[in-house]
Order: sequence, then C-alpha cells, then structure tokens
Amino acid sequence: MIEAEGVCLNYPDGTMALRNVDLHIEPGEMIYITGPSGSGKTSLLKLFIGIEFPTDGKLTVLGQPIIRGQASKIRQMRRSIGPVFQDFRLVNGRTAIENVMLGARFLDMSNKKLKENAVIALKKVGLEKKMFSMVEHLSWGQCQRVAIARAIVRKPRLIIADEPTGNLDKDNAINIMELFASLKEENTTVVITTHATHLINNLREGRLIHIESGIIHQERLD
Amino acid sequence: MRAALYIKKGWIDIVKTIMNNFGYFMKEARTIIKINFMSNILSIVSIGLILFFAAATLSSWWISNQVVEIIEDEAEINVYFAEDIDKKKVEHIINNIETLAGVEEVRLVDENEAYHRMEEILGKEAKVLQYLDDNPFSPYIEVQIDLKSMESVIEGLKNIEGIDQIRDNKEIFDKVRNLSSVLKTLGYIFIVAVGASTLIIISHIIRTGIYENREQINTLILLGAPDGFISFPFIIEGMILTLGGGLLASIILSLTLRYAYSVMTGPLPFIPLPDQKSMVTNLVSMIMLLSAVLGLLGSLFGLRSAKSR
Ligand SMILES: Nc1ncnc2c1ncn2[C@@H]1O[C@H](COP(=O)(O)OP(=O)(O)O)[C@@H](O)[C@H]1O
Ligand SMILES: [Mg+2]
Repeated sequence: MIEAEGVCLNYPDGTMALRNVDLHIEPGEMIYITGPSGSGKTSLLKLFIGIEFPTDGKLTVLGQPIIRGQASKIRQMRRSIGPVFQDFRLVNGRTAIENVMLGARFLDMSNKKLKENAVIALKKVGLEKKMFSMVEHLSWGQCQRVAIARAIVRKPRLIIADEPTGNLDKDNAINIMELFASLKEENTTVVITTHATHLINNLREGRLIHIESGIIHQERLD
Repeated sequence: MRAALYIKKGWIDIVKTIMNNFGYFMKEARTIIKINFMSNILSIVSIGLILFFAAATLSSWWISNQVVEIIEDEAEINVYFAEDIDKKKVEHIINNIETLAGVEEVRLVDENEAYHRMEEILGKEAKVLQYLDDNPFSPYIEVQIDLKSMESVIEGLKNIEGIDQIRDNKEIFDKVRNLSSVLKTLGYIFIVAVGASTLIIISHIIRTGIYENREQINTLILLGAPDGFISFPFIIEGMILTLGGGLLASIILSLTLRYAYSVMTGPLPFIPLPDQKSMVTNLVSMIMLLSAVLGLLGSLFGLRSAKSR
C-alpha cells in the first residue's frame, strides 16, 4: 500500500522536514502518526498524496511511484485516496452535502447513488442535520466533519487524514476515531496524524508512528 | 482493436460523467459567471455587436451579389436613332445589329411602349406623366446581349450608320459589382475580426475565471479530478457567452433587416431583394453555429493558456 525507503524531504528553504524514513504499510492497517507541532507529520502526508516529492529515497503509494513528471498518474492515484486536509479545503458558497458529493462526482457513480452515499457519510459523522447549511456557516468542528464525510464518501482504499480530530470536542473525537477504526471492515487503510495522545491510549489496534524532528519511531499498539 | 475499445470506453465514461453531473456543471458555470458578472455581460454585448456587424456586412454582400446576378441576366443596350429616318432604315440598322457577335435579341421599342415602361417604373408617381402634353419619349432599339461582350458590341454599334446615341447600363452594374466585391472583402475581414476578438475575449474571461477559482480547482486536483471534469464548467461558460452574443446579434440583425427591407422596397421596387425569411434563417443559423464554435475554441484556448502557467 505504502512503501517508503530512505525517504528524505528538504524544503527549498533548507528545512529538513523528514529524514531517512523507512515505512511499510499493509492494506487494512490503521496507522496513527504522532509528534509535536513542526515535527513533520503534515509533510509526511503531503508526500503520500503526491503534493511534495521525496528529495531522496524511494516512495510508492498504491503502486504509484511518487516522483516528478507523473502528474496525471498521481492524479489518478488520488482518486483511490480519501484525503482529509488540515485546513479542510471545503468549497465556500456550497452546502455541506454538495461539498461531500464533490468528493466522488468524477468517480463513476450515478447522481442518485452519490446523493445516497453523501447522506450516509454525513450521518456517520453526525452532521445530517446540517446537510443543507452553507459550509461557511458551520463551526470549525463541523467543517472538519464535512471534510471527513467527503473523504469516506469516495469509498477509498486509503484514508489520509491530517489531525482529523483537532477541532472536535471529546465525544465527537472518539466518535470519529471509532468511525475510522470501523473502516477496517472494508479493508481500508487509514493513516491519521494527531497530537492527541489521550485518544490513542484508549485504542487497542493499529500501529503508532512517532515523529520527532523528522525522524520516525514505530511501535505496535496490540 | 483493443485500443479502439479502450477509446470507446473512455468516451462512454466521459459522456456518463457529463450526464451524471450536468446539473452540477451548469451550477458551477452559473457561479463562475456570477463572480465576474459585469465583465461576462460586457463580453456578451461586445461579442454580440461584432457578430452583428459581420453578419450585416455579409448580408449586404449577399443582397448586392444577388442584384449583380439579376442585372447580369438583363444586360442590355439601348440604341437611339435620328427621329426623322424612315422605317426601312431602322430595319436596316436592326439587321446590322443582329450580325454583331454577343447580341442575343434585338427589338424595336416604339414611343408608346417607352411611355408605358416609364409608367411602370414610376408606379404610383406615374401621375406626373399626365401633365405632359404629348409623349416625350422617343422610340429606340433594345439590344439584349451577353454581358461579357458588352465592350465589343458597343464598338460594333459605333460603326453602324444612322445610330445617334448608345445608352448602356454598364456603369450601374460595374458600380454594383464593385460594391459587392468591397462588401465581400469587408465581410471576410469582419469574420476574421470576429473570430480573433471573440477568441481573445473568451479566453481572457476563462483565464480570469480560473484565476478566481484557483483554490477550488486546486482542491479538485488534490481530490484527483480529471482535467475534463475541472474544465467543463468553463467550457459551458464560454459557450453561454458566445451563444448569448450570437442570440443578441441575431435579434438586432433580424430587426435591422426588417427595417431595411421596409425602407428599400418602398422607393426602390425594382431592386430584386432575396427572400427576407430565408435570409434571416440562414444568417441566424450561421451566427449561432459560428458562436458555438468560437465559444468552444475560446474556452479551450483559455484553459490551455491557464494550464501552461
Ligand atoms: N512549504 C514549506 N516550506 C518550508 N518549510 C516548511 C514548509 N512546510 C512545512 N515546513 C517546515 O517543515 C517542518 C515540518 O512541518 P509540518 O510537516 O507541517 O509539521 P507538523 O504537521 O508535524 O506540525 C516545520 O519546521 C515547518 O516549519
Ligand atoms: Mg501539521
């Protein structure tokens, strides 16, 4: 699913965001990435989605090498990924359900089916009541849940979520964590960053990856 | 074979995506237009005006061309002779004219017929003729000719004895023909101008739309949306603008033509105008087709130049 060998990421300004990352992620795995702010969590996810490219080492996601010059192939790969961005990247001036539907409009789904799936996804994140609200009228936490619904509506093989519980209260956060954990049933791989270690302490399954100044340390939870 | 199947499947997918998302695309196009509402309206108006000028020039060329064709069929020379010569001499002149190459028909028009012809041309105004004491018109010989031999026939006539004066309508249709060819050139220039300016306007406005929507487009790219999916609303926008301009041009043009016809058929009843209805139909379908093509091309140019940046 994800293969990283000696992956480094240096930003043009000289920041060494990731150093020598070795990582193997299997289908259906649940991965939690923790680490303090500025440690390189977002940078790692950006590599997985092909927003950034390794400055050294080899990275393959869903069989697609993450290298420059393959923009259209990488774009195609992204159709199998459900991304949740740290800044949500919702489209203003649209309702919650329209934003969720946007996640799968170009994925060979009939309009009717798409609408049904969008409603189901919004129910799963507990936001069916806000379905027809414009996203700019929603709170941060609600926007975050719209972004999560947009990721799962696509029925992706891989979910990549950057601090998806960052703006949620405790109940909603646990709810979302359980939602992600339940995707294992469909053999979906989930990669989540978080610095809320208290949430992870309750989890029994998955793998914990800790980043500190761009260097990763791994441990199994189970 | 496999490649062909693959392409076919690709097209089916595209059509399916368009059908599934048609409402979405229209809504997107509407949103994009709303963001820059004024400049969108202005481009519809300016595209409409240039299309109108082009079509107006083309239709005047069309009309003048038709006039040329009809006059060409009626190429004739009127030959006047001294009034005091006798019938025999006139017959002699007619026989001589008939021998000239390029002459098709020779006929004597006597005073009465000349009077009636003028009556016909004047129509309602023929009353003025009644104020004349006696018939002021002289008899003449009407020579129907092949237009191409106009010059040689005139030369030949000059050598025939007894001819007083030669009157031909060469000058008139030389003028009409010149006008017609000027209009034709102008029409082509206008078409090129329409093409170029419409393409520039549309591609500029599409580029602006893309710039204003860059955030959303970026999100779509991150979600893996294909270029076609991202571009489609912009193509719709371009088509709406040019077709809107085309519609505007069509309306102004049919009103103008209606007015021009009512003005021209009054005092100039002998100018043979093409059928108004079929002319409007032809011009409107031409304008709409042209605007659809220009809208598509303009949006594609705009998308392309936006992408290359
Ligand atoms: N586009 C960028 N250009 C330069 N430096 C960056 C860029 N994005 C992030 N960084 C730097 O890289 C390091 C890791 O950042 P990031 O991956 O966002 O950390 P985290 O998500 O764990 O907070 C930080 O020092 C940050 O300042
Ligand atoms: Mg981050």
